[in-house]
Amino acid sequence: MSTRSGSTEELVVRGARVLDPCSELDALLDVRLSGGRVAEIGECLRGVRELDADGLHLFPGFVDVHAHWRTPGREDEEDIESGSAAAAAGGFTGVVMMPNTDPVIDRPAVLGGLVRRIERESGVRAYVAAALHEGLKGERLTEMRLLKEAGAFCVSDDGLGTQNAGVLRNAMLYAKTAGLPVILHCEDHTLATGVIHEGIASALAGVPGSPASAEDAATATALILAAETGARVHITHVSTALSAALVGFFKRQADVTADTTPHHLTLTDDLIGSLEGMWRVNPPLRPEEDRAGVREALGNGTLDFVATDHAPHASEEKELPLEEAAPGFLGHETAFAALYTELVLGGKLSLRRLVEAMSCAPGRWVGGLGSISAGAPADLALVDLSEEWTVSERNLASRSRNSPYLGKKLTGRIVGTIVGGELVHDRIGAAFGVRA
Amino acid sequence: MSLENVTREELQEILDLAGDSAGGRLEQPLEGKTICLAFFEPSTRTSASFELAARRAGADVVSLSREGSSIVKGESLVDTVVTLSNLGMDALVIRHKAAGAASLAARYTEAAVINAGDGCGQHPTQALLDLYALSEALGGFDELAGRKAAIVGDILHSRVARSVIPAFHTAGMEVALVAPDTLLPQESGAWNLSVMDSVDAALEWGAEILYLLRLQKERMTGARVPSVGEYARYYGVNRSHLRPGLLIMHPGPVNRGVEIVGDVVLDGSSLIPNQVAAGLAVRTAVLALAAGATQKVAA
Repeated sequence: MSTRSGSTEELVVRGARVLDPCSELDALLDVRLSGGRVAEIGECLRGVRELDADGLHLFPGFVDVHAHWRTPGREDEEDIESGSAAAAAGGFTGVVMMPNTDPVIDRPAVLGGLVRRIERESGVRAYVAAALHEGLKGERLTEMRLLKEAGAFCVSDDGLGTQNAGVLRNAMLYAKTAGLPVILHCEDHTLATGVIHEGIASALAGVPGSPASAEDAATATALILAAETGARVHITHVSTALSAALVGFFKRQADVTADTTPHHLTLTDDLIGSLEGMWRVNPPLRPEEDRAGVREALGNGTLDFVATDHAPHASEEKELPLEEAAPGFLGHETAFAALYTELVLGGKLSLRRLVEAMSCAPGRWVGGLGSISAGAPADLALVDLSEEWTVSERNLASRSRNSPYLGKKLTGRIVGTIVGGELVHDRIGAAFGVRA
Repeated sequence: MSLENVTREELQEILDLAGDSAGGRLEQPLEGKTICLAFFEPSTRTSASFELAARRAGADVVSLSREGSSIVKGESLVDTVVTLSNLGMDALVIRHKAAGAASLAARYTEAAVINAGDGCGQHPTQALLDLYALSEALGGFDELAGRKAAIVGDILHSRVARSVIPAFHTAGMEVALVAPDTLLPQESGAWNLSVMDSVDAALEWGAEILYLLRLQKERMTGARVPSVGEYARYYGVNRSHLRPGLLIMHPGPVNRGVEIVGDVVLDGSSLIPNQVAAGLAVRTAVLALAAGATQKVAA
């Protein structure tokens, strides 16, 4: 569901380097926005309101299909307003919210209420994933068709894997009837008995590890069932080289897509040597071979796109020993800069593919987003690729502070985010020279 | 055993005979015959209507139920059939929880075997009585040709559906299936029928007959269907669905408020009472054909 009907006022973004792999655009161009949509792309366009984007890059707004905005239940960690501000600060114009809240979004009345709140409180387009099973328990199906009527965009038990393959198979079949895509967190809880990756780092640290098979076995099961049922399945936060290869194997025979996260693309389990609770995340940070594997898979399109798994946590849940800390990292605000710095400047990924993996591919998955073309929603990210900045607690819009990049110097910064023709994030304000 | 290979003419013959039976034109057709009702699985309406049909037609009737027989002592289906056969039965009516039980029994007896429902396999006399009730309602068997019928609900586990689909097809009707993917076989294309996802969609398609299947709600809700509420919303029939020329059928027993809103069960557009009544005539005809024939009649 769209949160923005769109600004009716016309705006011309002038002189930006427009890069949209989806529309094959890569040139200095002007873009006219009108009625909430892209009206015209060309040279020497003029308008009553102009935004001088000289020296900046203009991308289709990023789309994040995996975020936790903690509403309802943990608004102390994030709410719709702060989550949406964090998304906009990261250049995201579309976000899918996961249902593992309190209460769980598993009933049409709860979902309907959340959808109405989003319409009022979110600056970006936010879509709600409803639970696949009641209470995310992997037992009883939710009322998916009634949830869809109430505004559900997709279904997911994210945070938990479905342990019983027969139950998962029926859930896929029912979701297919309901016409809802399924987002799957693949984890076999009988194997995932630890809190970090089972490897050299866990052996040395003496912290219980979960083997990679916990993810790989569950991913294989999910892919086999997706192929058999014909359901539309998205595997989220793929973090191992083997799981990425499995996705590649099943691409030809199943309606399946997959994402990986900025942190699995940039960080490894070496970090857990500090034993700080901050580094706990699920799936866990993996060793270098897996990081290289998911990088390669993102580069060649086996993994379709990036999703952040934006997971805000209060400091009292992270300033704990690894074994007691809550799993998860903030993601929205640092995703582009971290990936641009590590992968693009590091020579591992082209800028074009990064934009495709953050805008075009997830925008296509959501439907109708992620491109700069006449008639498309005027959802855009204006980025200064030369700006260096240090991630600090002070410059985060999120209500939480658990970013794995705190203190890190990154290159590339979002300076403006436009949703439906409206500037929802404007870091340098008047310097834009929007004039009436 | 099944209706899959029965011709239109054979159907016509059985329905004509059922008509004769209902009209009192068959006089004690089973006089001197012995019929055994072997119900290895509980049944109310099927066993009652077979028993009544057999007695009224003059047969001697032996009724076996699972509890009152040697089956509980562990005797196999085949041994039970051989025993009954040696007692000199003319026809054996079998209800069993496993598909194929009646066919298996037929290999071990010279008596005629009538399948009264085998697991999720077949329930041929149900489909025959449905055709009879429909023919009566529409003014003759020939009137069925070209009618559009939607079979709604748990097709996956339904022996009724597996008999009704070929029976309606042979009668010249156009059949569609209405069910969520969780209540359809993996290969729902097996019958080469279109599949729809709601009663509303079936009515849009032009369904003239809604044939509702029983939802085993205790077993299905949660696992294959989220709730009775959601099932009733998309696969249940309520008053707003009723329109002139639409007929509602259900093999029973009905879950009121699930497959059908209560007051629709006995509405003028409901053939449900007619279906039950048709059972007697159709089963008399089937018994007469089976026990009177020299060869086993597939019914």
